[in-house]
Amino acid sequence: MITTRKPRRDKESQMPRKKRTCRFCDAKEVYIDYKDDKRLSRFVTEQGKIIPKRITGTCAKHQRQLVKAIKRARHLAMLPFVSDSIR
Amino acid sequence: MEKARLYETTFIVNASLDDTQVDSVIGRVQDVIVKNGGTANALNKWGRKRLAYSINKKTNGFYVNIEFTAPAPLLASLERAFQLDEMILRFLTIQLDQKAIAARAKAQAAAAAPPAADPAPVQPREPLFKEPAADKKS
Ligand SMILES: [Zn+2]
Repeated sequence: MITTRKPRRDKESQMPRKKRTCRFCDAKEVYIDYKDDKRLSRFVTEQGKIIPKRITGTCAKHQRQLVKAIKRARHLAMLPFVSDSIR
Repeated sequence: MEKARLYETTFIVNASLDDTQVDSVIGRVQDVIVKNGGTANALNKWGRKRLAYSINKKTNGFYVNIEFTAPAPLLASLERAFQLDEMILRFLTIQLDQKAIAARAKAQAAAAAPPAADPAPVQPREPLFKEPAADKKS
């Protein structure tokens, strides 16, 4: 249960939200490698779009690193720019 | 006064070549590095992989990764050599910064250590998010 798209409610109606944590911070990651395409592909939709950090819970610092790694991997055809076709 | 820096280049060789031809392409790249005052530290052949999208109508490529130390002007020569080589479909050269080196040292240490000492193995997970149109179940 990750997607909570509804706007934040006020205090009384707010349900206990599941805290999302940055996976890279959890793993104490200092560098996100473009060569790790399997891992990067988890942060990309089936169409190949980069998933926003508000959905994955990645922190801003790691999202920046992640985006860079994904773009490098795309350049080397390890990840698609777009993949709307069914293989 | 040029300071030698640590770089890493990854390039895709036309996969329709046979292995000896691929090796000669790699040899040409290594020559460029050595002749311009660099030293190749490591050569990794990832081998033939399917490309995520076609490049020059090719759907497969032979991936090669070379790590080298070099003075900065070498990169221009290397880039030119890549561009002139018809058998190289794509290339990417990056400088390895302290974080990258640290991360790699950590990964090597983890690989060298016995598996029992591994604190928290990262398990493969499903994609975090699916396109709404794609799934209707669950
Ligand atoms: Zn983080």
